[in-house]
Amino acid sequence: MNDTVIKTKRLTKKYGTQTVVNKVGLHVQKGRIYGLLGRNGAGKTTIMKMILGLTPITSGSAEVFGREIGGNAKRIYSRIGAIIETPGFYPNLTGTENLEIFARLRGTAFPNAVKNALEVVGLPYKDKKTFAHYSLGMKQRLGIANAILHDPELLILDEPTNGLDPIGIAEVREFIKALSVEHGKTILISSHILSEISVLADDIGIIDQGVLLEESSMRELEKRNGKYILLQVSDIPKTILILERSFHVKDYSVQDEQTVRIYDTTLNMGEVNKALVMEEITVIRSGICNDTLEDYFKKITGGEGIA
Amino acid sequence: MRILLWAEFQKLRRSNIIMFTIFATILIAVIVLVSGITGQLAINSAGWYMTITQVWATMFVLPAVIALLGSYMICREEQDDTLKSLQLIPVNEIKLTVAKMTVALLFSILIYLLLFLITFLTEAALHFSALSMAVFSDFLKMYLLEGIGVFFAVSPIIALVPYLKKSYWLALVLAEVYSFSGLFMSMSNALKTFYPITAIFGVSGYYETTIQSRGCSLGILVLCGCISALLLKNLNHRQKE
Repeated sequence: MNDTVIKTKRLTKKYGTQTVVNKVGLHVQKGRIYGLLGRNGAGKTTIMKMILGLTPITSGSAEVFGREIGGNAKRIYSRIGAIIETPGFYPNLTGTENLEIFARLRGTAFPNAVKNALEVVGLPYKDKKTFAHYSLGMKQRLGIANAILHDPELLILDEPTNGLDPIGIAEVREFIKALSVEHGKTILISSHILSEISVLADDIGIIDQGVLLEESSMRELEKRNGKYILLQVSDIPKTILILERSFHVKDYSVQDEQTVRIYDTTLNMGEVNKALVMEEITVIRSGICNDTLEDYFKKITGGEGIA
Repeated sequence: MRILLWAEFQKLRRSNIIMFTIFATILIAVIVLVSGITGQLAINSAGWYMTITQVWATMFVLPAVIALLGSYMICREEQDDTLKSLQLIPVNEIKLTVAKMTVALLFSILIYLLLFLITFLTEAALHFSALSMAVFSDFLKMYLLEGIGVFFAVSPIIALVPYLKKSYWLALVLAEVYSFSGLFMSMSNALKTFYPITAIFGVSGYYETTIQSRGCSLGILVLCGCISALLLKNLNHRQKE
């Protein structure tokens, strides 16, 4: 059984001579939350639009549920709920009236679909307030309600917490997490806020200037960027031998020809240094490091941090 | 298609444009009535008010109002940013456009029916005894055909405004100039047959004309409809691009 819900291969988008998305290969696994992290203008929305078939692909391909959207739109869209950029609704209608239009056009089979969707996002049913008078947070919630109206298997959410207050952000975060954990939904969420992605996502894709710089599971990334002992030495093979034989170290990673990371921070570094020196290995640097995800983001994007 | 039509009517709830359309229709009826009374015009002769109101409405007000309503309906998916939500359903954009134009046509007919109702009731109040079933049906037919004709005459403007990516208020301005020009076109027999706004009068029976001229006028209005269909087809294609 294929568990990849979204798969893109060398996905590229060009506007004239400008390449806004460059050979991106995303892999979103079933039942997981995939966080697409990048600064504003990095190409997140364009990737989502290409996946959804809302903008033509210059080259490469995007498959959803094992098929390209073109020609299969009706079948695939019924399994997807999406918010792309700001949610658009008819300003002269109430939230309920707006959702009723989309529900009927979609042919939603659930009788209380509108009521349920509004309840989930915490908006009142049959309220008299028109969309024009909604706050940004309410508009965002209505967008999410529209996305879940037909109980889709896959949610594609482009910056869904934009404009929400801190309590609203926490609520939406909880709700997204619950959709994945309790209902097994697959979610592709984009954000420029690192903390949001780090709390929500199971897998992460870091994008900068249209290029996917990193794609890995959050656990793997945290492991790589948590607390560790950094050891810079003159002879890596000999050092590894000593670490394994004398100190029974198994959880480590070699970074380059002089650097090794040891993830067991309880190790007695005095003893390690002594053992290395006795074997005539020069210890250039040794100490405990604690990189944050932001440090990592800065390092791989080669620039400033992210919110 | 039934759901799309239902949705288009739903989208017009509480719409200021609808209020504006009704207001403009009532206003023209009032203006003609006041002019008839204060200007010593032939308001006392039966049928004068119903005849003049439809001419003034078609020359000065209703084409602009219908063009505004139609363009608003076509433009709004892009202006309200609902197009991508509709694309994700997916809604067939050609069917959506057809539904919007159908609703615009229905509104054009309804506006003329409202105008007919106002003028007929006013005529009934002024000289009830002179009215007959024949007068009622002749004017009803004339107003109905004008409602349909005005929609076809302004349909290229309805399509042109979203095509140019301009605000729907431009449709009001363009249609106003377009309909007002009909006043000058009506001075020449050939021009009034072929100019879409005056061609409406040929089709509706307001102008006494030959069958050939009426056929030409009808052909011009159909051509207007074809031009708008072509523009809207290209617009859909461009939106997909």
